[in-house]
Amino acid sequence: MSTPAREMPRREGSFEREPARRVFAGELRECHYQFREGDDEKSPTFVLLPTGERCNRIFLIGTLTEKTRQGEQNMFYRGRVVDPTGTFFVMAGSYQPEAMQQIARIETPAFVAVIGKPSLYRKDEASAPMVSVRVESITVVDKETRDLWVLDAAERTLDRVDALRTGDSLDITKAKEQYPTVDPAVFRKMAYDALAQITI
Amino acid sequence: MDFSEAAERISRKFVKDGTALADKAKIEGKLRRLVQEFGVQPSEAERSVTGELAREHNMALPGSAPNGQRGGGGTAEKKIAEAVPGEWVTFEGKVVALSAPVSPSISQSGILADESGAIRFVAWAKANAPAMNEGSWYRIESGVVDEYKGVANLKIHSGTTIKEISEDRALIPVPQEIKNLHAGIGGVRAKVVQEWDASHERMLQSGLLGDETGTIKFVIWKEPGREKLEVGGVYNIFYAQVDEFNGRLSLNLNGATILQEEGDIAVSGGETAFTGAIVHIAPGSGIIKRCPVEGCNRALSRQNYCPVHEIQQKFVYDLRIKGWLDNGMKTHSILLQRDAVETLTGISLAAAQEIAENNPLGMDEVFLQMRDKVLGRYVTCRGREIDNRLLVNSCELKKFESADHTGLLNRAGGAA
Repeated sequence: MSTPAREMPRREGSFEREPARRVFAGELRECHYQFREGDDEKSPTFVLLPTGERCNRIFLIGTLTEKTRQGEQNMFYRGRVVDPTGTFFVMAGSYQPEAMQQIARIETPAFVAVIGKPSLYRKDEASAPMVSVRVESITVVDKETRDLWVLDAAERTLDRVDALRTGDSLDITKAKEQYPTVDPAVFRKMAYDALAQITI
Repeated sequence: MDFSEAAERISRKFVKDGTALADKAKIEGKLRRLVQEFGVQPSEAERSVTGELAREHNMALPGSAPNGQRGGGGTAEKKIAEAVPGEWVTFEGKVVALSAPVSPSISQSGILADESGAIRFVAWAKANAPAMNEGSWYRIESGVVDEYKGVANLKIHSGTTIKEISEDRALIPVPQEIKNLHAGIGGVRAKVVQEWDASHERMLQSGLLGDETGTIKFVIWKEPGREKLEVGGVYNIFYAQVDEFNGRLSLNLNGATILQEEGDIAVSGGETAFTGAIVHIAPGSGIIKRCPVEGCNRALSRQNYCPVHEIQQKFVYDLRIKGWLDNGMKTHSILLQRDAVETLTGISLAAAQEIAENNPLGMDEVFLQMRDKVLGRYVTCRGREIDNRLLVNSCELKKFESADHTGLLNRAGGAA
């Protein structure tokens, strides 16, 4: 006679939030596969990284080099955030009013911390997929925080590269299928170069 | 068959409070008659007479067959720690505590322990079980383990046999680590770290006990002979009742054996530390108003409405930050109390109040300023985790360490 798991009311804080993955622009740019977990309307969409990890949310820090306001009726902001390996394309639309107000106040260039959701889109049928990051939040930070992020992103990238060689998770298998030509050594080199750019 | 020996064996099973219930000569006569007159197998004759006596004296049929062999339907002899609710069991254990029965239908209740663990027991009044003495060993045959309030419990019913074990066996209880306690009966070696105000008139004392692995709430209810624990004192506590409420454990020390000892324990406080980036600041962070009613302290709505005490105009200001701390692998819910908020944001309660009362955006402005100061920052938060939420006692910004940098450079370059 076993006791059934007690039905606990779903309290605040009891649900698992999707962690924000740390990924360099140079790796995110290579993504061209996204998938959905479950077929519910609200089920999350994941972009699969070539190093074999799904991400629904990412955390990045870089330099906001330019921002442009677009659209009349449905106004939104586009921005470019540069890290040591490349450029993140970020956007904040009217569905992210908070993020839009934040980005509106920031004067470029500035170090910014961005929490957002990556998604793939194509300019037209023929073109290659692009990754853009829908901003949930963007704040100005200092250089030390940026450097901490580079360490963090490098460490996570190296973790993924190592796991790719030895592990066999669902995402790793899928990544090997989806990105057959990608050499993980590229990302190790990328992490090294990013770290080497930090001057103390 | 030696009839007198068999009769002796049977009569020993029917002893209550030291007096034999059945006449040995009569038993011997019955046995002799069955075997000699009716050609019954001796073992079967013994079983038959025993059963008849058991019915006559309204006692459980002893589970043991002659030569100590057990029939197919007998109950398994187990160690107490192995007991699973729903099983019929036979235990040999020591009565380490007796407590006052809570209902007239219970004749005796207490705690039975062996070297593997301990269990609460209840003897029903209807069971007519012999009274057990604290400190004595007993063999309890055919009891039933069931579950009461989520905790295993031994029921002594009319089918249970209790035999006192005369030899005095040593029983040295081993304290458990607080983090390994689970609902039931447990023992710890712990220090009284805090004493709280009694929240009930029947409560003698409540507070927090801690050891190297964590802390647990304890409570002692008023009862003759119970004394308060000394704050800062180290105690060996055995056979305390570990209760579970809303997924949290607490120790009920009534009925426990408590021995104070010398020495000290470095209490861990159950503190955990997480390092990561703050990736979200939730609404309700910043400066808030709290209900002034004593003991309430709930956060008020914008209209100064307390869910319990309604409109409260004489609210008290407080600071807090609710958010998510994320290390890229896992996200932790965090709750920063006023002190931690002031240190992290550099905005004191007084400064926040000044902004809230004079800025056109009011309390929202405090939220925005604090958000801009902490969102996206790397911090280390220390505190206690409750219900997946880290109640942060201290929080500091992470510093850039060049050792981390070189370490990663070596890692990235080394295996290339």
